[in-house]
Amino acid sequence: MSNGTVSTLYAVATFLVVLAAWQIAVTALHVAPYFIPSPLAILHALIAGRALYAANFLVTLESTLIAFAVALAAGVLLGAMVSESRLLRRTLYPLLIAFQSMPRIALAPVIIVWFGFGISSKVVLGAFTAFFPIFLNTVHGMATADPDQLALMRILKANRMQVFLKVKLPGALPFLLAGANIGIIFAILAVIVGEFLGANRGMGFLIVNQSNQMDMAGTFASVFLLSATGIGFHYGLGALRRRLLFWSGTGEAGREAG
Amino acid sequence: MRRPVEAGTAPAVPILALRDVSKTYRTVRGENIVALSQTSLAFEAGEFVAIVGPSGCGKTTLLNITAGLLRPSGGTILFRNAAIDGPTPEVGMVFQGPVLLPWRKVIENVLLPIEVLGLRPASRYRQRAADLIGMLGLAGFAERYPRELSGGMQQRVSIARALIYDSSVLLMDEPFAALDAMTREELNLELLRIWKMTGRTILFVTHNIPEAVLLSDRVVVMTPRPGKVSAVVPVPLPRPRSLALLGDPAFGAIASRIRGLLGPRSGPAA
Repeated sequence: MSNGTVSTLYAVATFLVVLAAWQIAVTALHVAPYFIPSPLAILHALIAGRALYAANFLVTLESTLIAFAVALAAGVLLGAMVSESRLLRRTLYPLLIAFQSMPRIALAPVIIVWFGFGISSKVVLGAFTAFFPIFLNTVHGMATADPDQLALMRILKANRMQVFLKVKLPGALPFLLAGANIGIIFAILAVIVGEFLGANRGMGFLIVNQSNQMDMAGTFASVFLLSATGIGFHYGLGALRRRLLFWSGTGEAGREAG
Repeated sequence: MRRPVEAGTAPAVPILALRDVSKTYRTVRGENIVALSQTSLAFEAGEFVAIVGPSGCGKTTLLNITAGLLRPSGGTILFRNAAIDGPTPEVGMVFQGPVLLPWRKVIENVLLPIEVLGLRPASRYRQRAADLIGMLGLAGFAERYPRELSGGMQQRVSIARALIYDSSVLLMDEPFAALDAMTREELNLELLRIWKMTGRTILFVTHNIPEAVLLSDRVVVMTPRPGKVSAVVPVPLPRPRSLALLGDPAFGAIASRIRGLLGPRSGPAA
């Protein structure tokens, strides 16, 4: 068995042990189901309400993916522009840094006033939140381009576009993907907060309703679904990372040890 | 008008000449550090010249100025009697490390200059890249990625990359310093073979005296503080050269003369 498979087995086994302990504790101690539901009750809620979960989940997923795509495009584009232009580095960059230090989630009520109860306000909030880690990582990645590789391109009299496309952009890819990893988590967080505050659909909306009705099994089912989504994003981006960064050699070292 | 240069051969029309080139750095404290004091050197087409000296003697500065990577504080660089300002495709360079792009296959790394310089046709250069890869003992590795190669093999790739386009001068900045002694000797002999085959002019910076003597027609000896050329030693040993030469008394005489010129600081090293 490879090292990765063994690690996964350990993680799954730990997870199952925790669930079993939870089930036993809740049953043995007679904890009220409206206080802490048992894992089996949560599973039951998930299965019984599958149509409800699916409908709301798809809304949240759609908002998150659109928000992430916008943040990715804007973050990489503006990151590249700031890296290449001294003027933008002196004007736009300080402005964005000022925005960066602002708690962006705090703007959620304002954005809902501006963009309404539909998914557009969630997309805007998600994109606005996810933009910064992607943007900053792109700028950082481009700034740390290997000086020797840049000297090589200078020897060849490469123009700026060639330096950018052949050295800076591929060199920044590890940073960019690290930014994307943070960005997608930020996006889903912001979308859910948006749905908490003002929405008529989505997982955030569902969770608020469920907890208002003291439906703890349902609330926990929703949270578990969102956790699973987060794990899914993490593994999806991990697979993408291995595909795109096969040359960096970080993945190989782990496998050799197995 | 050509000024008389240091001892050794005085070429009629040097392919490359440094005229009164100097480099001064200003430190953060505002002091001026002379990295290279006024230096004039001329190189004949097809010549193999080694530049030796301890660290801090300005040999890398000299090479980087010649490559156009550094602007001199004073003086001019002449290529075929015309002043050059900045890098030119006529002057190629091999760095101390391989400096490969890790996301590109070996053959794509070798072809990088062709892409950047926009040379055509692609098929011809692809064939040439494959030939160079074979010539440098990398046959079968064209489709591999740099991290799958050893340090010595990576440096071979960087040499192939420098040879793929027709620069007439090749600058080499301690290209084999990071390699083990056996790989280094092997690559020294290969470099001599390639040099003879391609007829390029090579400027080879090293701090290894035997390597300098084995490879070159002339050895430029530099001393530090301030960095300057203290002598140019001709190496009139017969070619083609082999490692057997290392035990030759004539070889030893030249090597110890250079060692003497480097001053008392460099004792019986190397």
